Amino acid sequence: MTPASPVPCRGVRRLYCLTCDPIGEGVAGNCEAKKGADKLRTMKDCPARPSGVKPRRLLRCLGFALLTLSNALPTLDAAQDAFDTILKPALRKHCVQCHGQNDTLKGDVNLLALQNAADLTKSPKLLGRMIEVLDLEEMPPGDAKPLQPTVRLQMVQALKKILRASVSEAKIFPRTPIRRLNRFQYNNAVQDLFELKVLVFPLPERLMREYEDYFQPASGALPAQVMVGNRALGKSQMIEPRLAGVEPFPQDLRAEHGFDTQGDHLSLSPFLMESFLSLSRSIVGSRDFNAQNCGIWHSFFEAPQASTHPLAIVVQQRLRKFLTRAFRHPVNDKLLGRYLAHVLARLRTGNSFTESMKSVAAATLASPRFLYLYDEAASNPSRRVDEFALASRLSFFLWGSIPDAKLLELATDGRLSDRGMLREQVQRMLRDRRLKRFCDSFPSQWLQLDRLISSVPDEKKFPNFYSYAANFRSSSHMMLEPLLLFETILIEDRSILDLVDSDYTYRTPRLQNWYSASPIERDSPGTHKFARVPITDRRQGGVITTTAVMTMTSGPEESKPITRGAWIASVIFNNPPNPPPADVPPLESATIEQKDLTVRERFKEHRTRPACAGCHAKLDPLGFALENFDAVGRWRDDYANGRTVDASGVLFRKHKFENIIEFKDAILLEKDRFTRAFAAHILAFALGRRVDATDFPALDEIVDQTAQAGYSMQTLIHEIIQSQSFVGKMRPPRKKTTRL
Amino acid sequence: MKRPESKTIDLQTSRRAFLRGIGGAVLALPWLESLGGAAVAAKAPAQRIAWFYVPIGVVRRGFFPGEADTRVPEFSKKFKQAPLDLDLPLGRNPLELTPTLQPLEKVKNKVTLITGVDRVFQAGTDVHAQCGCCFLSSSSPFGVTQSAYPLARTLDHVVADEIGGKTPFRTLEFSCNSHKDNKESVYFDNISWYGTDHVAPSMRDPRRAYRRLFGTSQTTAYRDITDLVLEDARSMQRKLGSADKQKFAEYFDSIRTIEVQMEKLERMRGELSQVNLDEPPDAYLPRGEYIRLMGDLMIVALQTGLTRVATLMIGPERWDTPMMFEGLFDKPRGHHEMSHNQLEYIDDLLKVDQFHIEQFAYLVEKMESIEEAGGTSLLDNTIFTYGSGLGDGATHQYSSLPIVVAGSGGGKFITGKHLNLSKKTGAVGQLDGKFRQELHGQPLANLWLAQARAMGVQLERFADSTGPMDQLFA
Repeated sequence: MTPASPVPCRGVRRLYCLTCDPIGEGVAGNCEAKKGADKLRTMKDCPARPSGVKPRRLLRCLGFALLTLSNALPTLDAAQDAFDTILKPALRKHCVQCHGQNDTLKGDVNLLALQNAADLTKSPKLLGRMIEVLDLEEMPPGDAKPLQPTVRLQMVQALKKILRASVSEAKIFPRTPIRRLNRFQYNNAVQDLFELKVLVFPLPERLMREYEDYFQPASGALPAQVMVGNRALGKSQMIEPRLAGVEPFPQDLRAEHGFDTQGDHLSLSPFLMESFLSLSRSIVGSRDFNAQNCGIWHSFFEAPQASTHPLAIVVQQRLRKFLTRAFRHPVNDKLLGRYLAHVLARLRTGNSFTESMKSVAAATLASPRFLYLYDEAASNPSRRVDEFALASRLSFFLWGSIPDAKLLELATDGRLSDRGMLREQVQRMLRDRRLKRFCDSFPSQWLQLDRLISSVPDEKKFPNFYSYAANFRSSSHMMLEPLLLFETILIEDRSILDLVDSDYTYRTPRLQNWYSASPIERDSPGTHKFARVPITDRRQGGVITTTAVMTMTSGPEESKPITRGAWIASVIFNNPPNPPPADVPPLESATIEQKDLTVRERFKEHRTRPACAGCHAKLDPLGFALENFDAVGRWRDDYANGRTVDASGVLFRKHKFENIIEFKDAILLEKDRFTRAFAAHILAFALGRRVDATDFPALDEIVDQTAQAGYSMQTLIHEIIQSQSFVGKMRPPRKKTTRL
Repeated sequence: MKRPESKTIDLQTSRRAFLRGIGGAVLALPWLESLGGAAVAAKAPAQRIAWFYVPIGVVRRGFFPGEADTRVPEFSKKFKQAPLDLDLPLGRNPLELTPTLQPLEKVKNKVTLITGVDRVFQAGTDVHAQCGCCFLSSSSPFGVTQSAYPLARTLDHVVADEIGGKTPFRTLEFSCNSHKDNKESVYFDNISWYGTDHVAPSMRDPRRAYRRLFGTSQTTAYRDITDLVLEDARSMQRKLGSADKQKFAEYFDSIRTIEVQMEKLERMRGELSQVNLDEPPDAYLPRGEYIRLMGDLMIVALQTGLTRVATLMIGPERWDTPMMFEGLFDKPRGHHEMSHNQLEYIDDLLKVDQFHIEQFAYLVEKMESIEEAGGTSLLDNTIFTYGSGLGDGATHQYSSLPIVVAGSGGGKFITGKHLNLSKKTGAVGQLDGKFRQELHGQPLANLWLAQARAMGVQLERFADSTGPMDQLFA
């Protein structure tokens, strides 16, 4: 794993270099590199790097050192010490006035009741929240006496120490419950199991359609030009080779602030089970399910040539291989016997060989061993998941599907969980074309791009949005830009900070003109040719200021700064706002007496109301920073009423900015916060559950390692997979059963 | 949304043909279960129960008696309205149809308007999500510990536990959510839940619903498979941790339910094949037709004994995506977005509210037109409840909810009345910048308890009920 190639570092003033800044605080003092630091991001480029030490090895050593360090988790005694000496006095001095004293319990939080560290270790949720609000400078609120930065830092460190002690001592950890495959995973798993050359059913949730197999991660680069289509919004883009006559079950919904992989959303009902039963039969019964489209036709469905072996032996051999793959686990003789008996019974009643094998294949797809993702209960006290569960975790994370033969083979040999081997396999998976499934699911959900499907800017105000052909919307182009940027960063292993601020992107001529306010060219409503273009204007670049995000966070007439602020808080910083109070309507079109006000002025009322001020203090600066982009993402200096846009603000009450470029700089100053948020999103996607306080130690480590590797995207993926949260086995809380 | 005009017209024709099919078949169709078994002519017709859920509340001025002249809720710190005194006696009153309720005129003597019912909002979740998913559950606040939602087994399933055993489907869930984007989570989109975190997903494609209810399924093929996979499930279950084991029960339950359902459907097949129903078209339907078609399918299922318990959610909560309300507006509109600005959209919102009542009235009339034994109608033997989880789309109050109960469940309930349970009503504003929870009537769960008991379910309590709604019983 080499660190990412140096990327011209525009605006990043802090440097994360092992030598200069081993604790990743970005504040190390007398480093030569600091002076020219603006141009450097990776340790490789650091002039202070000890000669003779290859960055790679140093990284590994340090990684190991850190690992050992973090394995030695603080004890409860140490935690109690931190509580007594730092936390308790600080809470008494700065917090209990609003949270505990005189029956004042703002936010229903009582900090006066905390007597010792154990009171906190008992409730990781509160603990996590306290770390967050202090770390994000949300508390104490703006009107309270500000906290000294050193005190704040000490408090956060004390809380983190207690949290780590809590994680190491606690008996209960979050864990993903058993859950059925979602629709996307089901499609992929069936495709891989039968080696189908066609889709199983249409999947509008895969927003981007790929042409000419441009996605070749093994090449390490995305081509300069790519042909793509938009399934949700493009013309005829849902028409693609698939099995005729197969009807999917309903699409699974994304969890709030989460993903469609989340366990509590993926349950089963008779209605769905009926769908699965008829679905599995219609798949093998489709007229397109044949030798031409099915890669395992010859080895599984086709009657064997006159063989020296009895037929039952042949069937058994075929079944063992097939079922192992389908169930992601070796099959025992009893189970194999049942499936064999099923085939033999079909054969006896006069069915053809192929028909009998189709029947057993359909049964396989309806088996819970195929339909469910689950970890077997602990038969040993190990804290790591077993090899086969790990293989499935990996493959459903990066390929949205069942493990391949290689992963299963390594699991069988008990070699997959070896750290080095795990790294090697992830490396292999990242170079496999199946990685496209990750790109077809994670980024669009992370960025919430499906919101763009329902964006309908006003036709009179934004006529170009619809021009060209009936039903054509420019969003068909817009939506694909951030997805292509994500793919580039992933397969070229670039810095994840490019997601905030990149000097390249992919655009169609239409989009290019859209950004430059040139006349809009006609373009195909079907497939779009995107070309990689350099970005020299820093108002553009990264995902935040794409026309896609700007349009979908706007109303039909106007930009919606609070919606934008909530998007940034949720997506970029993984800190979604609480739902707005029930009685506050969003700001609608201005009334006549408000016509001369700017949107910021109209929102003043929200900010001045105590009930609203808390959230608006957090959301407003994020949203107003983007006010120079109108409701379809085009630049504006002035509003329609002639008033000048004011995009200035302060990020996290720390970093002042005057305009969007300085806002991006401010986010980059908080790059570890972004990295952590981004890692938490991926972790939640991969594990199918909410990430909570018990994952904080793992996240800290992921961020450290990623920062040291120049924020390399692939390092981030590796570190997520190596983390205790990913490879760990957690004991679940008891859950009440429900009847159907 | 793609909507080729010429195609829509064609579809309307075939849709009419389909409705004629139902209409004709409907009058001739008996409660089929009784045909299959021994002669039970003397037996009273089966009781049925169904719910019609309307998202995002209503405009109070148009819906509630005594509020026609009240102020329109607006976003302003000045809107600190206290509850109004309602000049109407508690208990049964003559039913006066307010403007929004006008479409119920023809069936006025078969419906009861209930005012003064409340739910309690449990802070910590989105107000829209909770008002929808917890409408039929109403668990006591913080009574459910494993979820942020006070969400437990919903009333439809509790009732079906008692009366759903004999029909092919214990319950049926219908929904008219036609949104193509994936904007909201399951909590906004479902009113029927097996339990906490365990959704009972709904049918929303009329054609597929039709096939599920009336299609010829491959029963024998299923059975071969289910035997095999159940054995897999058993061996797999042994390897699971205790919590997973409990969740995994859903697999066994689903398979078992399907097997029983197949058997019962098989027994009814002969009769069901006499039902001359066209398969609904696979294409875009205007909003009203879509709702009525799903409602028709629900009614036929209730009528023929495919089920006795059904829910129909006519749209998801919130889901800020504009959609077409054909016949009301010429452009797609967002119900939720309009609801936040009554000052500007009150006339349009009133149209939406009345449009929803029209669909409800259509279904109520349809049920009334279906004759059953002893000179009764399907409506007489059904409890069919219209309701929303918000008392007003602008204030998001959980108090003074809009509720109309049609039918009497076989003479158990009074009809043709306005049952008033509170001396206070109105759009309740905020107090000191905080949303104020005004409770001045009876918990909604009291209505659910009364309905459960009317359906023969002997419950002491349901959710946060304080007692059954006595005044409703005949």
